[in-house]
Amino acid sequence: MSKGFASSYRTGLIAFSLLASFAGVGGRLVWLHVIARDELLRSVAKVRSRFDAETARRGDIVDARDRILATSRSLFVVNVDPSWLREKDETKWSQLAALLGRPLPEVRKILTTKFREPAPANPAAAASTAARPADLVFNLPPSTAAAGVATGSPEPAGAVDPTLAELDAANREPADEPADDTGDEATPDQTGRIPIQWAKLADDIPESVMSEIDRLGIRGVYGTRSYRRTYPHNQLAAHIVGFVNKAQHPIAGLERYADFYLRGHDGWREGERDGRSRELAQFRTREVPPADGYNVKLSINANVQDIIEQELAAIVERYQPLKATIIVSDPRDGFVLGLANYPTFNPNDYNKVPRDEMSRFKNIAVTDIYDPGSVFKIVPASGALEDGLVTPDTVFDCSLEKIEYQGLTRKLPAEDHHFGNLTVAEIIAHSSNRGAAQLAMRLGDERFFAYARAFGFGQVTGLPGGYEEAGIMRPPAKWDSLTITRMPMGQGLSVTPMQMHQAMSVIASGGLLLRPQVVRRISDVSNEMVSDFYRVAVRRVVSERTARTMARLLARVATKDGTAPEAAIPGYEVAGKTGTAQKYIDGKPSTTHHVASFIGFFPASNPQVAISVIVDDADAHAPGGIAYGAKVAAPSFKHIGEQLITYLDIKAGAPAPAGPALVWEGGRR
Amino acid sequence: MATLPPAADSARARFLLNPAAVIVVCAIALAILGLTILFSASASFSDGAYFYLCKQLAGLVAATVLCFVVSRINLDYARNYAWWIGGASLFLLALVLVPHVGISVNGSRRWLGVGSVRMQVSEFAKLGLVFCLAHYLAVNQTHIGEFKRGFALPAALIAAFGGLVLKETDMGTAALMVVVGFGLLFLAGARWRYVLPSIAGVIGIFAVVVVLIPNRLQRFTAFLDVEGNKSGRTYQLYQALVAFAAGGTNGAGLGQGRQQLNYLPEAHTDFIFSVIGEELGLWFTLGVVAIFTIIFIAGLIHLRRAPNLFHFLLVAGCVLLICLQAIINLGVTTGLLPTKGMSLPFISAGLSNLMLMGLLLGVILNTQRTWGRARLPGRARAMQEVLA
Repeated sequence: MSKGFASSYRTGLIAFSLLASFAGVGGRLVWLHVIARDELLRSVAKVRSRFDAETARRGDIVDARDRILATSRSLFVVNVDPSWLREKDETKWSQLAALLGRPLPEVRKILTTKFREPAPANPAAAASTAARPADLVFNLPPSTAAAGVATGSPEPAGAVDPTLAELDAANREPADEPADDTGDEATPDQTGRIPIQWAKLADDIPESVMSEIDRLGIRGVYGTRSYRRTYPHNQLAAHIVGFVNKAQHPIAGLERYADFYLRGHDGWREGERDGRSRELAQFRTREVPPADGYNVKLSINANVQDIIEQELAAIVERYQPLKATIIVSDPRDGFVLGLANYPTFNPNDYNKVPRDEMSRFKNIAVTDIYDPGSVFKIVPASGALEDGLVTPDTVFDCSLEKIEYQGLTRKLPAEDHHFGNLTVAEIIAHSSNRGAAQLAMRLGDERFFAYARAFGFGQVTGLPGGYEEAGIMRPPAKWDSLTITRMPMGQGLSVTPMQMHQAMSVIASGGLLLRPQVVRRISDVSNEMVSDFYRVAVRRVVSERTARTMARLLARVATKDGTAPEAAIPGYEVAGKTGTAQKYIDGKPSTTHHVASFIGFFPASNPQVAISVIVDDADAHAPGGIAYGAKVAAPSFKHIGEQLITYLDIKAGAPAPAGPALVWEGGRR
Repeated sequence: MATLPPAADSARARFLLNPAAVIVVCAIALAILGLTILFSASASFSDGAYFYLCKQLAGLVAATVLCFVVSRINLDYARNYAWWIGGASLFLLALVLVPHVGISVNGSRRWLGVGSVRMQVSEFAKLGLVFCLAHYLAVNQTHIGEFKRGFALPAALIAAFGGLVLKETDMGTAALMVVVGFGLLFLAGARWRYVLPSIAGVIGIFAVVVVLIPNRLQRFTAFLDVEGNKSGRTYQLYQALVAFAAGGTNGAGLGQGRQQLNYLPEAHTDFIFSVIGEELGLWFTLGVVAIFTIIFIAGLIHLRRAPNLFHFLLVAGCVLLICLQAIINLGVTTGLLPTKGMSLPFISAGLSNLMLMGLLLGVILNTQRTWGRARLPGRARAMQEVLA
């Protein structure tokens, strides 16, 4: 720097400081690029990673003829990233508001709220949306299956009902997602305010409206697909189908029971996101596409279901009962064709059911118990016939008021009519209480109890769909001196409507106890079969011969000679049994409150359909003030039967050869 | 003493070996790197991948034209208008501050413009300061030892420029002007006893300003604790540092950087160096530093041929403007200096700064052309010996 115009040391000093600065920057670069690298990167990986779930479409529930009972509609949630809006789009806001169906000021408020004051996160919101563990796997028996004979106190049914607590939970609306769905790493601006990057504009926007919103082209407004469960037939088969709540969690019925198959597998993507939390497709590391849920095909036939629901409505209108249940099944394979309860609900509006009426959600055909009354007489009669202790023509003296049994004199129950000597056939036809008691005494405590168990009482039936009551049937060791006289006529034990229906179906099926089923088939999205369901025989209860004999005896009930000529269908031989059970009011049998029932099947010689009509407490509006099974339930049986003959094309002809039991599960239950 | 390469005799070879040409080649290399990175960094921007690229290309063409024009003018003639240039700069700087005339962006009033054409006056004022300061110091070189003419007046001139730019709340440019101005004063021979206290004074004034303006102190010191402030005040800086780390030695590859994807604000302008760091890695960032160092060294060598103090100070000022601006930007992006808006010469997107760089290069090329004429051939030869 000799010949310069500045002294060398001045130029040198400046040159040195600049060169030292360049060297310092170089050293710093080595530090950042190489030495401090790992430490810096560790903190950043967390911020950058992004996880996206893709919702799988929940499968449909269809009836036996593929009519949709429950389906998932594709809807959109409209979101906005307010920091991403452009001024020039502001003119389109009114159109957007119109499409969303919300007033413009509301929409404007969401769009213009660009910052959120720092606030503690809301842990409650996160907790309430936590996924419910799927604890029910299809075809596993519910835990109550092991309950067996109820040995506890004969408390009224329904006092402990675990489903209700969940129903309560179901009624709560799911909390909104947390405001920033991708985490809390939003970038505060220079004044420390946190910009809002996500806000919800509207739910449940159909695809057509969404495409119109897309066409508006407002930057920052976008839709995310969600599915909404709908039930096109409303209340039809509500108790079988069940429902999912707004958060798409299955709550009741098959929705919950078959959730494992229906829900599918949500897909997910793992990758990186940019500074605005948007996914970077080019850095996607792993991707699992969603697998849509399987479709579940029921044995329920929407037409049959509609027939019985209309009949149920007629019963309700006429008698205003407390509760009522109608079950229709095919006794040859145990599949349920229709099941309706009153009261019921509309699964589309499950959240409009008042809090104190949540028992409407219960499938009372399996959750509520009642004293079966005279229908139960099929058990002592079948047992005595099967064991060869009596023939249909064996005569019993039904005028006796007392009888000696096992060394004790037992008082026999009263009869509605005075009977003299009756054959076994007449005991069934006229529904003699004393006759039934004597038949049971012929069997003895243990054999009678064993037959009752064999017919399925005291155990759950295994109907898919949720909680099931096992009923109350005390073992002989806990009986008192009158039990053997009362239990054969259906008093002093409690059963569910489905148990009684299943027991009657034993006679209809030729002596086999078949598990009641509602799921016919599970198929995947392309309708390929995943799993088929066949008849499951739990055990043989009585021989085919005994069953045929019983069917013949029961056929006399629905004649002028029997208790329920009201059930007779011209041209067909109807087999069935009436029941008129006194209800226990305040612990005592009431003479003004009854459960009226008629349970039967037809054609008697070749049973193709089994029907149960059970009406609880219809006395107030019944003729004569007492709800007899023959008066209240039997006419409905007939009315349903007549419609089914046309719809199912039931012929009164000769019996078809009985099909083999494809699956035996002898002795398991 | 190394022998000269045979081709050195040709005019073209002589040009390539002279320091001004080295500076131009370095600048072109930086501009090409800048365009490449800009294309990658702005690809995710909403205006489209080509928007900034086209804008920058247009700016480069305009800067080249400016450079050529300036390289052809007679600097000694222009020197007659030195006070006009300085006065016009000050006037425009003041005009920017007038409401409704100056255009304010992000809280800083720095731009003058008509329609979509905006100019950042302070960029051109830098050259205006250097030009009239060089003129003044050259005129008063015999009085440089006096307090009034050798220190107080030039310091007041520097303070006027610095103060007006500071009023725009452009602390980075103000600091650059003050440093370059005092650097020239120092080179011209101002006395230590005046320079040292004034350096202390300037630091004091900055300290007062920093403390008085709300938030300024925290923002000023936030760079000292980047990790602790990473989600708040130094978010930008933190993201920049992460970018360097992500690049590592070899870089993530062009277009593979992620920090510019909305993590790093101003990825295409002030923080473009960290994008280079992420996408191209250590060797390229060191290369950029090396190129600026070469520009500086070449500038120093070039200065040895200055015919008079005015030319010396003018070129020294130009070189200092380029290199100090680079150092400030590199220091900010690597977290060595507090975050200040300052573009990286030749690389960052931004028209005003590009124009200024064209002007500065034009001045250097001009002097390369004119200084050689009056010199003896021996001086040119001595120059070549240094380079060889």
